[in-house]
Amino acid sequence: MSTEPQALPINRVGPVAQPGPVRGRRIGPYLVMLPALLFLLAISIAPLLYSLVVSLLRYNLMNPDRMGFAGLRNFQLILSSPDFWNSLLVTVEFVVIAVGLELVLGLGLALVLSRDVPGVGVFRSFILVPLALAPVVVGLLWRFMLNTESGILNWVISVLGFSRTDFLSNTTLALPIIALVDVWQWTPFMFLILLAAIQALPHEPFEAAAIDGASTRETILHIALPMLRYPILVAVLLRTIDAFRVYDLIFMMTRGGPVNATDTLSWSVYNNGFRNFNMGYAAALSWIILIIVTAVVTVFIRLLAGRAGETA
Amino acid sequence: MFALGRPSRTAVVTTYAVGVVALLLFLFPIFWMVLTSVKTTAQAFTSDPVLVFQPTLDNYREVLFERGFSKYIGNSLVIGVIATLLTLVLAVTVAYPLARYDLRGGRQITSWILSLRIIPPIVSVVPLYIIFSNLNLVDQYPALIIMYTFMNLPLAVWMLRGFFADIPRELEEAALVDGSSPVGGFFRIVLPLVVPGLVATGMLSLIFCWNEFLFANVLTAARAKTAPVGLTEYATPTGVLWTQIMAAGTVVVLPVMVVGVFIQGFLVRGLAAGAVKG
Repeated sequence: MSTEPQALPINRVGPVAQPGPVRGRRIGPYLVMLPALLFLLAISIAPLLYSLVVSLLRYNLMNPDRMGFAGLRNFQLILSSPDFWNSLLVTVEFVVIAVGLELVLGLGLALVLSRDVPGVGVFRSFILVPLALAPVVVGLLWRFMLNTESGILNWVISVLGFSRTDFLSNTTLALPIIALVDVWQWTPFMFLILLAAIQALPHEPFEAAAIDGASTRETILHIALPMLRYPILVAVLLRTIDAFRVYDLIFMMTRGGPVNATDTLSWSVYNNGFRNFNMGYAAALSWIILIIVTAVVTVFIRLLAGRAGETA
Repeated sequence: MFALGRPSRTAVVTTYAVGVVALLLFLFPIFWMVLTSVKTTAQAFTSDPVLVFQPTLDNYREVLFERGFSKYIGNSLVIGVIATLLTLVLAVTVAYPLARYDLRGGRQITSWILSLRIIPPIVSVVPLYIIFSNLNLVDQYPALIIMYTFMNLPLAVWMLRGFFADIPRELEEAALVDGSSPVGGFFRIVLPLVVPGLVATGMLSLIFCWNEFLFANVLTAARAKTAPVGLTEYATPTGVLWTQIMAAGTVVVLPVMVVGVFIQGFLVRGLAAGAVKG
């Protein structure tokens, strides 16, 4: 693992060469950490290995007698099933709409509210409230507001002269609407991270730009945004990881429907495993998801490493 | 930031205008939920919204005492508190050595712990359900306690490492000179100093447990059901008990918002630090 040269063993031996606890090369700290690290290792690895085994089985909880080895049959079934490709597309669409809008809105808000105007702290704090809400409550709350007959959003629509719409029963609108609900809850998170990043920017480039008579627009486009690349990528990565998992909102708002318009990958695993009780299929699907997530994150981290290297 | 010195009048006006619109958009739905929770069904089910009415607490009475929602809240609290205490103990055992000692492999351990958050929980749900049902732990407290401890440990390690690193080393060295053992010094000098960090980390962990739905939905049924899972009783396709739903939702959300107000600074630090430095 480590390529560190082994040339300084003398300094590492005995208590005399080590004043204070700081440069200890003792085994004690590792022993203290061991239980927690083993716990993390066990709970992260065991389910994955076990699900790899299950994914190779014909295993339906309703039909335990027919359990048996299935080889790669589950993976074949998934990859040749239109439902899987639909789920993948639905998930990507959801992530792109949700994270894209969150970035634009969160960045815009952070730029505007980074100005030190009296009382701006009130806005900065209260914008964060949606972050505290349980997503299940958020889903129910928006379902109520979208209700065709008595929902306040449909009232606004009718007052504006349009006809009331049952958004969540519409195969075209249901997914973007759920993405918008995600935007409502998580734009504050983008805002929070990007505001912190903006406040940490050095002052000098902005002073120079002001002396050169640059407009606010030019300052933002040519000075602020390039310096914010790294935090923006991190924020987008964190939100992408999270949006990719969307499950609570789907459960509370549409349960994958209408038809399969909101059947995201997470919902699909749940649906196959816990509503159709097809554990083998669901476990194989889990592994495919894990591979997809790992690939996406690796790409992001490459990007991050590249960008960080440029600015450093 | 972008207009150094005194912001211009237009800048001030746009800032306030954007701030007010944003607050309305982000807060109105919550206000509407609370308002609906004190309406009667007749007042909530109108095509034009009712704004003036005699508020009633009937929905809360119904939800908490007649539909057994208080039992789910109790379950949520027990599971959340035990998982949080476990999380804190385990997190301290990792965070302190990482913060204090120049450990070989320390950086790798830190990034490995943080990378655990990348794995989507849905990926582990199927095997976990089978494992826990073989152990007869489905619908029992320990299943969720284990999963929630696992879920919160990485963030807790990350936050506490920061709090430990902020403590001046001289304090500990002084304790050692005075004849304390490293372990004694840790309990007498270091731990009391990170109490605010422990409280903030614990609160964050408690909120995540309280709001969690996927594991709770799969690993509990009748006995150990938590509050978010209790809400699904209402989320039927034909469900029309909207006033009760909004009351139950308010019960779930309100404590978190109250706690959030008090520890907002810490929460911001916790959420943003992982993102900006990570």
